[in-house]
Amino acid sequence: MAIENISVIKLRDILLVTVPSDPDDLTISALQEKVLEAMERYECRGLVLDISTVQTLDSFFARTIAETVQMVALMGGRTVLAGMRASVAVTATQLGLSMGRALTALDVDRALDMLKPLLPEGNRI
Amino acid sequence: MIDTPQGELNIRSEADIVAARRLVRNAATTLGFGITDVTRIVTAASELTRNIYQYAGSGTVRWRSLNEGVDVGLELVFEDSGPGIPDIARAMESGFSTGKGFGLGLPGAKRLMDEMTIQSETGKGTKVQTRKWLRK
Repeated sequence: MAIENISVIKLRDILLVTVPSDPDDLTISALQEKVLEAMERYECRGLVLDISTVQTLDSFFARTIAETVQMVALMGGRTVLAGMRASVAVTATQLGLSMGRALTALDVDRALDMLKPLLPEGNRI
Repeated sequence: MIDTPQGELNIRSEADIVAARRLVRNAATTLGFGITDVTRIVTAASELTRNIYQYAGSGTVRWRSLNEGVDVGLELVFEDSGPGIPDIARAMESGFSTGKGFGLGLPGAKRLMDEMTIQSETGKGTKVQTRKWLRK
């Protein structure tokens, strides 16, 4: 899994990032860096992390995501984790993972709705 | 005829953690575990394989199916010749870590599996044996 496979799309002032389904640790770290760079470059106010294809969320992966949420918050942005699978939610809870201050949504569509109030008038999605 | 998956994988690089997840996922799915149990097993395997890589540098992951009477299960064994765990009771506490994780690896893996035993000797290595039984 190479860093090129991480999709980062800017939608108005929101960054939409699709997390690969089974990333190695290097890809997860690269994703964090790529997200922070894009948040700065595009001056985004919100971040949607689409984790709907993620099959395994282990503690390293969760820690990096929780850190990213915290870093984005320091930069003035809100993060929504979108589309966590039921099996992953069950496992993450039993494992004892906490995703920090991330907002969550069932899917990307609802995540964008949650971030809509952050966008300036006239620039709504 | 029930499929009886078994195999082993040497862990030498970080990419082998991904390989271990895929092979364990295949074995668990072949045995007939449902999606939630497959996710539990693969997540535990990911934690314990990363422990090998992070603390010992290299080691082995082995998996085999279990058939005890009517009970079917999957056994995973994680073995390394690394520094060992000086205080297993401490390592089993949530939130305790000498590495860069959350300190959830060992206690988390135990919660996700049905059985887990750890043998470790300082300076010699660590062997973690875990089992998950198929609910019928």
